[in-house]
Amino acid sequence: MRSKEQLKTIPVNGLPQRLVRHRWIWLVIAVGLLAAMPAFVGKSWVSLLCEILILAVAASGLNLIIGYTGMISFGPAGLYAVGAYTTALLIVGVRAPFGLAMIVGPLVAAVVSLIVGWFCVRRTAVYFALLTLAFSQLIHTVIYKWYGLTGGDDGIIDIRVPSFLSSIGSYYYFTLACTVVCLLAMWVIANSAFGKALSVIRENPGRAEFIGINVRRYQLMAFVIQGFFLGAAGSLLCGFSHSVFPPIANWTKSIDIIIACLLGGMFHFFGPFVGSAVYILLDKVVTGFTEYWSLVLGIFVILLVLFFRGGMAGFISERLSPGRREGS
Amino acid sequence: MVWRALSQKGCRLEGVRGVDMLSTQGLMKKFGGLTAINNVSFEIEKGELSSIIGPNGAGKTTLFNLLTGHLRPDSGRVIFNDKDITNLPPHGICQLGIGRSFQRINIFPRLKVFDNVQAAVLAGQGKCVNIFSPSKNMAREETIKVLETVELVDKRSLFAGLLSHGDQKRLEIGIALAVRPSLLLLDEPTAGMGSEETTEIAGLINRVVQYQGLTAVFVEHDMSVVFGISQKIRVMHLGEIIATGTPEEIRANAQVQRIYLGEE
Amino acid sequence: MSLQAVLMQLLSGLSSGMLIYLIAVGLSLIFGTLRVLNLAHGALYMLGAYLCFWLTSSFQQIPGMFWWAIILGPFLVALFGGLVEVVLLRRIYGWHFMYEFILTFGLILIISDLVKLLWGGGFHSIKYPWPLADTIKVAGGTFPLYNLFLVAMGLFIFFGLRALLHYTRLGKVIRGVTYNREIMNALGENVPAVYLVVFMLGCWLGGLGGALATPLVTVTLGMDMTVIIQCFIVVVIGGLGSLTGAFIGALILGLLDAFGIMVLPQLAIAFGFILMAIVLIVRPYGLMGKREYEK
Repeated sequence: MRSKEQLKTIPVNGLPQRLVRHRWIWLVIAVGLLAAMPAFVGKSWVSLLCEILILAVAASGLNLIIGYTGMISFGPAGLYAVGAYTTALLIVGVRAPFGLAMIVGPLVAAVVSLIVGWFCVRRTAVYFALLTLAFSQLIHTVIYKWYGLTGGDDGIIDIRVPSFLSSIGSYYYFTLACTVVCLLAMWVIANSAFGKALSVIRENPGRAEFIGINVRRYQLMAFVIQGFFLGAAGSLLCGFSHSVFPPIANWTKSIDIIIACLLGGMFHFFGPFVGSAVYILLDKVVTGFTEYWSLVLGIFVILLVLFFRGGMAGFISERLSPGRREGS
Repeated sequence: MVWRALSQKGCRLEGVRGVDMLSTQGLMKKFGGLTAINNVSFEIEKGELSSIIGPNGAGKTTLFNLLTGHLRPDSGRVIFNDKDITNLPPHGICQLGIGRSFQRINIFPRLKVFDNVQAAVLAGQGKCVNIFSPSKNMAREETIKVLETVELVDKRSLFAGLLSHGDQKRLEIGIALAVRPSLLLLDEPTAGMGSEETTEIAGLINRVVQYQGLTAVFVEHDMSVVFGISQKIRVMHLGEIIATGTPEEIRANAQVQRIYLGEE
Repeated sequence: MSLQAVLMQLLSGLSSGMLIYLIAVGLSLIFGTLRVLNLAHGALYMLGAYLCFWLTSSFQQIPGMFWWAIILGPFLVALFGGLVEVVLLRRIYGWHFMYEFILTFGLILIISDLVKLLWGGGFHSIKYPWPLADTIKVAGGTFPLYNLFLVAMGLFIFFGLRALLHYTRLGKVIRGVTYNREIMNALGENVPAVYLVVFMLGCWLGGLGGALATPLVTVTLGMDMTVIIQCFIVVVIGGLGSLTGAFIGALILGLLDAFGIMVLPQLAIAFGFILMAIVLIVRPYGLMGKREYEK
């Protein structure tokens, strides 16, 4: 029998030890860099960073069900918009305190994903994806058509934030703090026993069923958690753009979130974060040169699918520790 | 939960024969016009190591599927430890203490061997709802123990999909063991293995039953394994159990010989 | 709600349903045989519409140009589709369906910018072609002759595809490959060639739908986005992979939209999604689809 000390030293993940031990240092450095940014770059870049962070929260949330649980959803925009519109309505319609509105937004999105998810997880693969699309478009239609509640095409404008958050710099710090909190929470969940169960469901749902995991219930729980974080991203959007409009619920927005998730690599925790940054920066850079941004993105996406299925994070991880194949 | 605590504390009803752990009553299953399982009733005693044999198409895997909830019988009942489990879903049946390995390799290919087994251990302990504690260090001792039982400790950091066929079969059994079942159903555990590995697996099954007090039923085609370690053999043919007995009795059974004419 | 109004809405719904069928049937065909859900199908429709518009308006001096455009446009779209299949799609058969979603979405982006490059971003339209420019009197009202032509075209394609699949050798091979690719391969059939033919046929149908739609809709960027969603609704209701299902699904959607606008105009655009959700919840393989398509 092995001693407790010997058991502790048996390595169980494949990253080179030096990287794992220093992981916290990298994160602190990254957060520090992000926090220091406003001192070095202009307002428009700070605004851009804010956009990246919001998309990163949404894409990481989505990754909980795509990358970890293996469920391809086609409707993240619907839940994102529910969070955004809930917060917006609370602030503008009821004059609720900002903090309350920010928390209720994701909660309502979580409740909606509970209802939507209950129907969706009873289906698999293509049908699951199509059903999430249908629900997302229904949410879009409700937002678009219910003029009395949501203002329809006019959207909800003039969303006020507390005065100490009114500058883009201070709102950036607020968003950064929220992003760190959200990602930390997702990290804990993804690495918990629950996260293990999700990976197992992704790999082989039949077998997962027969090690005692109620697959549907776990899928539903993952879907609700995803909905919460998508709603959180939507709520952050309110304070950022001070307005919300129906297109944020449309399937084209869903595609944005999905691409950000995949671009970075859906089998790595920070993949979606990297993907969001690349996506938005690419957009900014390319639209400066040409009006044919779609063409460039399209080619990029196709190359991604054909040659870089692991996404950017997968590509980098290969370089750091060759032989550790995640596969796709 | 009580029975599991009892068996963990060593209060086993070892050596007490005659206690039925699993029994079926009049199981029937039809697929369209084909009667796959025809009025099957049998009892499995606690602590028994038995096998089910029969030509291909006899219905052995279908029977397992009925026992583990993957299929619903058209009629009949399955009773496990005095509880009717006939219509329970697979995860419910697993939680009650039945473990199963599958005929075709059914593992988690892109997870490491360690993770494969650890997930099963955690699921068996009901800890998978835990979203707060990091899973990396949960249940390490139990997981290592299971890995040692199936002799895969050295390979625990490899991705399961990259293992050899024989090792994947071992992992298959390891996953089934990791949920701490009291009844183990093994579907062709030595399929596709060479003779040396087959002997090892047979020894493994025997050990597990003897020292961990499990009850095991396995389906096999390899007669050396069947006659080597089974205490009892049941023969299936065309969806029915046509003979039950000790290895000697079955060997001498004329009907069985007729069915297996040419096979040995 | 007079009988006349109901009849007019019925005809209107039928003809718009037929148009959607003409567009969606290509999607269903490609999914049925190749098991690929081609998101870019709407973009191919758009390409067909732009080609038809451009040919018709650029060569106005040639009499009956519209009819030449109907023949030439879809043909060009089919060629483009063939190129896509050989260069891109062929590599990803058998991969997880998400990759084909993303790949075909990349195609949408490329095709829409291609269209922008070639024809710019304005709004275009063409008139009803001779000799279908008139309306006829039906049930006390008037109905465009062109829409009746669409209904006829829909039926022609429906029976034409049926005939192709059931009475020609090519059709039998296609059905065989749809049913079981490996066996057809073992029997010596050139499966990759069949895949190419089916994909090109699907693209041809999409382009044809676009070309036929040109006199009715505004040809502009973004027309692909609205159409692809409608195609999804149709193939879900009818059953993924079923051509007859696509026909029935399209008619249902057309009628639902037509009558929905009369009954509940506010929610009309939601009806399609509601029906799609109901079908997916209750009977995911649609009215005529088969269970085996659940991957």
